[in-house]
Amino acid sequence: MATLKLKNLSKRYGKTVWGAKDINLEVNDKEFIVLLGPSGCGKTTTMRMIAGLEEVTQGIIYIDEKDVTFLPPRKRDISMVFQSYAVWPHLTVSDNIAFPLRLKNLKSAEIEKRVKEVSSLTKIEEYLERFPRQLSGGQRQRVALARALVVQPKVFLMDEPLSNLDAKLRVKMRTEMKAIHKKTQATTVFVTHDQAEAMSMADRIVIMKDGSIVQEGSTDDVYFDCEDMFVAGFIGTPPTNFLSMELGEKNGKLLLVNSAFSFEPIGENYEILKNYSGKQVIMGVRPESMQVFKEKKPESVFSREVLVTEPQGSHQIVAIELDDQIVKIVAPPFPKVNPGEIVHIGFEHDRIMFFNPETEKRIRKA
Amino acid sequence: MTLNQSVTLEPHKSGFPWKKVIPYILIAPTVIYYIIFWIRPVLTSIIQSFTPEIGTGFTVENYSRIFNDPVFWQAVVNTGIFVIISVTLEFVVAFGLALIINKKFKGSSLLLAIALIPMALPPVAVGAMWSSGFATYGWLNSLLMSMGLIGEGEKILFLAGSDFQSLMLIIIIDAWQVIPFMMTILLAGLQGIPKESIEAGYVFGGTRFKVLRKITMPMLKPSIQTALILRIISAIQVWLIIVLIFGFRRIPVLLEEVVFFQEQVQNEYKLALAYSVIVALVVSVVAVFYLKVSGAFKGDEEQ
Repeated sequence: MATLKLKNLSKRYGKTVWGAKDINLEVNDKEFIVLLGPSGCGKTTTMRMIAGLEEVTQGIIYIDEKDVTFLPPRKRDISMVFQSYAVWPHLTVSDNIAFPLRLKNLKSAEIEKRVKEVSSLTKIEEYLERFPRQLSGGQRQRVALARALVVQPKVFLMDEPLSNLDAKLRVKMRTEMKAIHKKTQATTVFVTHDQAEAMSMADRIVIMKDGSIVQEGSTDDVYFDCEDMFVAGFIGTPPTNFLSMELGEKNGKLLLVNSAFSFEPIGENYEILKNYSGKQVIMGVRPESMQVFKEKKPESVFSREVLVTEPQGSHQIVAIELDDQIVKIVAPPFPKVNPGEIVHIGFEHDRIMFFNPETEKRIRKA
Repeated sequence: MTLNQSVTLEPHKSGFPWKKVIPYILIAPTVIYYIIFWIRPVLTSIIQSFTPEIGTGFTVENYSRIFNDPVFWQAVVNTGIFVIISVTLEFVVAFGLALIINKKFKGSSLLLAIALIPMALPPVAVGAMWSSGFATYGWLNSLLMSMGLIGEGEKILFLAGSDFQSLMLIIIIDAWQVIPFMMTILLAGLQGIPKESIEAGYVFGGTRFKVLRKITMPMLKPSIQTALILRIISAIQVWLIIVLIFGFRRIPVLLEEVVFFQEQVQNEYKLALAYSVIVALVVSVVAVFYLKVSGAFKGDEEQ
């Protein structure tokens, strides 16, 4: 097992289009890292450069401190699970898995032993003599996984491996893959556009946009401590609510004002905003960091009529309209809130994030 | 009437079993066409080939004359050599070209368009073009002279070589025309192979050659089979180009003999028929043998 380091990795298509730009990333030994982003953000390009399937325009790739930037894939000590599985249709399952080992000229007893090991790990022992076309999508996926595991690579690459499975199987495979990773302890880079997948599997999430890394950190980091409005809006369902606020001053006190309500930034928020008096900021609040009260309470900031509610069983989503914008709030399942009802709304102040409306970057304490 | 009341479901009866008959009615025109225009003439030729040229009655005279004719054996050998060398050569070159064009580099589609030109030419035009090229005062010698590769007195007598050299000349001309056809089939097959399957080959330790040998070619097998079987059959049936360049009976091949006895000689019609039967038999045997060996029949059982 090993480390992976990307230094200023860039890929240019044609003369001006950058598929990935200045990617700097260090993946630690045994770490499970997820590249997450919308389609076209460069996550797959980055992974393909690591695999050696895409030429690097600029930058260096180190695997275990060794520069592999210009090595062919077979000399990089990596393995990969492809989105379409890419199991070879003309070979049986066991030949598919054994293929990389045969190319390494391993003894057949050793090959047999290792094929057996991984096929029991991925639960495909019964299908070893079948051809891929006789397997379901989920089973083929397991074959692809077994083939990738059998080579015991330094770095394990997975390119949206679960995206072709149905929703239920996807959730199941997620857990299984995490368990397999725990057993094999392989350094892994996993590409996905599914944030639930990323959050549940990753030791560390790397969020990409337009070919660059926007933020990297643990699930909690990227969820609660967003670097910019893109991350705050991309991660979480429903996404973060963004409210345009102006910072006013009244009786020597700082005040956050919009057309519907105003309140005083307290504690940490005061420290963050004290130099922004008279300026516009964007307030980002997660739906579950807002509270809905049936009666007016001291902590409620404003009142609004409920537009619709979406019961979810474990919680309910309450939607209100504010400045021609829908604001969604995640509330406990009881007491039930009904559309048309006037509710009183408060904030968890230490969970509010403030962003600069021009740069869309997070405003942090000076 | 309550909903719970039981109802006896009777099978829907109709007088005539249309469902069973309709498929036969639909296929009937094809079968009839096939019988009239294919099976009948084939059977007639076979039967006629066992009758004497003049008169009636059963005879194997036509066949024994063919088998005792040294030109027939010469034709068998020539055809055999032609098939083996031309199919091998054409496959290798066509496969190489298909791999190159499949790379989708700048100008690959232009290259494809150029490569396809010979396929569009009819064999007669190809024969005319190359026979004028290989003539002693033909355009090929002029070209070589103008390029300064040969002098005035060093004109190459392309058409005056040994039989084997002449056959090679034919193979080259034929390859020139047929390679685009094979390449098209192989290229279509290559484009049907998912990119990730090939990439997986490289990721899992394959060199270019290993991936080609162990992944690309097995996955291309249906296309390779199609290209080879079509090509083998048409190679056994070569004759027009040979006749256009060398005339009859200079380089005898099987089908050329059929045409020779039918068109060039009077009153040898039955002999020509016997020859046709032999050629048809050779083609069928070779085709079935090839498909058997290459495992084309086995493919269906695995499905």
